[in-house]
Amino acid sequence: MDFLASSFASALRLIGSFSPDVFDAVRTSLAVSAGATVFAALLGIPLGLLVGLSDFPLKRMVVTLLNTLMAVPTVVVGLLVYGFLSRQGPLGVLGLLFTPTAIVIGGVLLASPIVANYALASVRGADPRIVPTALTLGAGRFLAVGTLIGEIRFGILAAVIAGFGRVISEVGVAMMLGGNIRGYTRTMTTAIALETSKGEFAFGMALGIVLMMVALIVNLFLNLLQQR
Amino acid sequence: MYRLQSIRKCYGSNVALDIEELTIAEGRLYTLTGANGAGKSTLLSILAFLSPPTSGEIFYAGERVDRNHGPVEEYRRKVTLLHQSPYLFGGSVDDNVAFGLKVRGIRGEERRRRIDEALDVVGLRGFRDRKARELSGGEAQRVAMARALALKPEVLLLDEPLANIDRETTGLFETVIASLPAQGTTVVMTTHDPDHPGRLNGESIFLEGGRHVLRSLR
Repeated sequence: MDFLASSFASALRLIGSFSPDVFDAVRTSLAVSAGATVFAALLGIPLGLLVGLSDFPLKRMVVTLLNTLMAVPTVVVGLLVYGFLSRQGPLGVLGLLFTPTAIVIGGVLLASPIVANYALASVRGADPRIVPTALTLGAGRFLAVGTLIGEIRFGILAAVIAGFGRVISEVGVAMMLGGNIRGYTRTMTTAIALETSKGEFAFGMALGIVLMMVALIVNLFLNLLQQR
Repeated sequence: MYRLQSIRKCYGSNVALDIEELTIAEGRLYTLTGANGAGKSTLLSILAFLSPPTSGEIFYAGERVDRNHGPVEEYRRKVTLLHQSPYLFGGSVDDNVAFGLKVRGIRGEERRRRIDEALDVVGLRGFRDRKARELSGGEAQRVAMARALALKPEVLLLDEPLANIDRETTGLFETVIASLPAQGTTVVMTTHDPDHPGRLNGESIFLEGGRHVLRSLR
């Protein structure tokens, strides 16, 4: 217990002392996670809405595929993107491997199925009277769908936040595609993994606390919006 | 106002509606009666241009409605359907009543006047800024009615508007509905109450098994 307590105290001191290593990792994590979430939202929300609102052959298969993609291990995504971005890969010429952009690409692939599935679940759970009500009040098809999106906006917001949570908390993609380069591609999770393996438990714990704080702030923000 | 010819609506092999011919005259009130599953809601949905018939032709105000050539939105904006358990959008009462007016490009003072008038008619003056989701069931029904009335539709379709509401709201709705034909609005309402045609001074259309079997004129 002493070990945990003293590590926790050291972690708090590290955060309080504005350790550059801690804040570099926090900054990188937030930047790549935010970037990946934006692109995942741009891909995943329309996809979820499209699947939810339309009937087409193989719809069930598409839904199953989206569900399966949510469970893909991060290292598999990392491996796949690594194959494309490595020097011998088809996109190797772009020189993106071991850059924050590579982590963003991996993050988009991780978060998009989650955002799409949450958006799909929101559409499925929406009140079936929304679209007919908008139509009978004179709305066109696009406005009726826009009204539906407005009515399920908290579900859509939850989808985006779940996507953000997936990206900011993962290690595999950031490690394999970012390379854990100090001050450049080192994220909170890769730093925790590295420092803990080096025996720097307090440093890892400091980043763990910050990671939890970020999760808390994001969820407080969501609750605040829902209460409005 | 409407002329329906050889209208059929099928869901798979199930024929929900099969009407050889039905004419609905302008500025009249019709009650649509029949047992559950007789096709009343299906017919209302077709009259509201929300759901196309599987086959047959609809004429509205003398024009053939052709979904294959042009959108039906322009017809939909002349007709409003009020559901038995209406959905109110999130936001205020004002947001709800203003919805259809905004869609039609009615703004400013005219929009404000129409909202106030409609809320007055249903006895909800002063409710403009109330949150729609915090209203009682009866109040929500009245807001939905105000939302429809504010549009001054040529046709108002009512799906059991007097079911599941309190006595006070029933009396209010009956008065409002009965007054609409005199203002030029055609009303078609479904009901299970055999006294409604008499009380509302309307004509009765009776459906059985999806077929139009009887029409009584008063």
